[in-house]
Amino acid sequence: MTARRFRIIALLGISTVFLLAWAFPIVWSVLNSLKTDTDVLAYPPKLVFSPTLEAYRDVLFGSGSILPNLLSSIIISVGTTIVTMLMAVPAAYALARLRFRGKKLAGFYVLATQMLPPVGIIIPYFLVLRNIGWIDTYQGIILIYLSFSLPFAIWLLVSYFEDIPFEMEEAAYLDGASRLKTLWRIIIPQVRGGIAVTVVFVFLNAWNEFLFAVVLSGNTVRPVTVAMFNFVSVEQTLWAKLAAVSVLAMLPVVVLGVVAQKHIVKGLTVGAVKGGGRR
Amino acid sequence: MASFKPTRRTLLKSGTAAAALAAFGPGILRHASAQDADLAPYKSAQIDWRQVSGETITVAVIPASYFENLIALAPQFKSLTGIDVRFEKIPPAQIRQKSVIDLTSKTGTYATHAADPMYYALYAANKWVESLDTYLNDKALTDQAWFKLDDIIPAWRSANGVDGKLYGMPYDGEVTIQVYRKDLYDAKGLKPADTLEAYMSNAAALNTPNDRVWGAALRGVAGAGQNMYIYPSIFREFGGDWMKGGKLTVNGPEAEAALAWYVDIMKKYAPTAAANWNWPDIADAFSQGTVASYIDAHSSASVINNPEKSKVIGKVAYARWPKGPSGKRTTSIWNWGFPINSALPEKKRKATWLFIQWAASAETQARTAHRFAGPTKRSGVNRTSVWKDPDYIKLMNGFGENFVEATMGALQQDTDVDWRPRVPQWPAIGDTMATAIQSALSGQATIKAALDDAQRRIEPMMRG
Repeated sequence: MTARRFRIIALLGISTVFLLAWAFPIVWSVLNSLKTDTDVLAYPPKLVFSPTLEAYRDVLFGSGSILPNLLSSIIISVGTTIVTMLMAVPAAYALARLRFRGKKLAGFYVLATQMLPPVGIIIPYFLVLRNIGWIDTYQGIILIYLSFSLPFAIWLLVSYFEDIPFEMEEAAYLDGASRLKTLWRIIIPQVRGGIAVTVVFVFLNAWNEFLFAVVLSGNTVRPVTVAMFNFVSVEQTLWAKLAAVSVLAMLPVVVLGVVAQKHIVKGLTVGAVKGGGRR
Repeated sequence: MASFKPTRRTLLKSGTAAAALAAFGPGILRHASAQDADLAPYKSAQIDWRQVSGETITVAVIPASYFENLIALAPQFKSLTGIDVRFEKIPPAQIRQKSVIDLTSKTGTYATHAADPMYYALYAANKWVESLDTYLNDKALTDQAWFKLDDIIPAWRSANGVDGKLYGMPYDGEVTIQVYRKDLYDAKGLKPADTLEAYMSNAAALNTPNDRVWGAALRGVAGAGQNMYIYPSIFREFGGDWMKGGKLTVNGPEAEAALAWYVDIMKKYAPTAAANWNWPDIADAFSQGTVASYIDAHSSASVINNPEKSKVIGKVAYARWPKGPSGKRTTSIWNWGFPINSALPEKKRKATWLFIQWAASAETQARTAHRFAGPTKRSGVNRTSVWKDPDYIKLMNGFGENFVEATMGALQQDTDVDWRPRVPQWPAIGDTMATAIQSALSGQATIKAALDDAQRRIEPMMRG
């Protein structure tokens, strides 16, 4: 065997191991979601079984339907994404382009909110929301989600804005465009990719969030990540239903991931090479 | 005072009526519940149920069938009292966190919640909840002759009390008992163990991993309510005393012997994975026929008798905890009780009490248990009288041989108020002990080292 062939085989081997480790939970969930509770517990695990959609029917249309929770998750995630982007784009542009007093401080402060462990700030958040009567409301949860999505989005976007040659902007100014118009017409189209990546990440973070949601939500607003936990009851774990909800909760994420895949890969590279080092 | 004493006959009659109505489905049940006739057993109490009509309270419960049954009857409470109850279902791990946040911040979000008995010391020390005695002794709010507090299982009431005052009204609870495969035991001529020693030798006799049958399983996963739910029974049975000379003590010879027994049985005769198992996993394994015996909650009987997934129905029998070297049997003491949040305004506190009185009453206990229309019946009712009701006994004995006797025997004779150390620092102490037990089980530390280390960590907590 030549060294080259050996290397290929070794690499393939390693990637297979990693792939298995990563894919296993997903495969396990999908398989179990199609089983009956009896088949879930069968030993050895059944790879051949008569699939049933019963678990899905139960979690979607049964007494504990998760449809309202999926709706909650969608409202929260879409809401968070829209508000974040509306604020992050101008903020990132300002940090990348403008020269103003306290810019460094502002940049640091944006990041500082990310340095606290979330567990430590839950209770203050709870109290704030409670005092303004926003516990268990969409605006309350979205407001809190902004605290981590906004800094993240700003810092991701800054690196994209910095990539755009200043000359392009200059050309626009010479043609008499205002700064806002330039931002809208010239800059944003250039960073479309970056914006797409940011949207995807902000959406995913909000969609998968559990820690804040479990404390700040209630009966009215209850995202699917929180509702899912109710299938692990004190009496028994309803494996098939839990798996079915997991798969349903994964779907939007997977769809979004596939749609935005090209941008995500590119976005990660840009962030990795330029995000931190340049500053 | 009220002279009304319902005879069993009248109780049964109203029960039959409720059951007949319920047979037509929950829709009709809900409709029927609005009718007065249905409420007669409650109205015989000499109190004004409607004194705070119009109030709304929020009650946090965990997702479990025994609360689902209660939620299903909430419309009856509404038509009885005019009080709206909003239920919020929160998983067990988070309900503690959320209720403590609510209580510390005095926001009064949850009028009451399903509370862990180990938390009352903390709640009472901070005056976050009110003593229920005030409400029990108020004639305008409680008809004692109707409510019959003494009928509620004494062990659970004392578990929910601090310094002789009751802080949480038991709603549903459990005891730990031996659950075993009668067919396997019979085949080998074994009897359910009377001593921990015999439990070990039974496990040895039945342990045949090659046939995928292990001798025994106990909760292995770390957690104040997991391995630290089973270990305290063993500790007490070995003669351990948490409060040695007024000082919280978790190490010493009794503790070492107890932990050694636990580690021994888990390592030798339990499936390897059991080191990470919690009670649902044990029940799942048992229901698949891979575990010959376990000691855990009597309420797990419904899981191992679930016709949709169990393979051992008809082969199960029960017995009380085996005795330890001290000669004692010690069960866990567990119940979900309802306290009253002291951050509430007076009217809401009254509404909360009426709700608690309703939920814990013999009538509601029966309506959510054997007289419940739905498929799941509660096995953790809070009243001795219900446990003596022939209809209930008949239903419970469907779970297997000796179920009612073992459960009642444990409830009446094997409970021990000092089963776990009841101190406000419990949450942290429980976690520390859970970690120590796990590190001994996984072999990261010797038994002595694990316990001594736990003692070192716990001492500063008690000082602070």
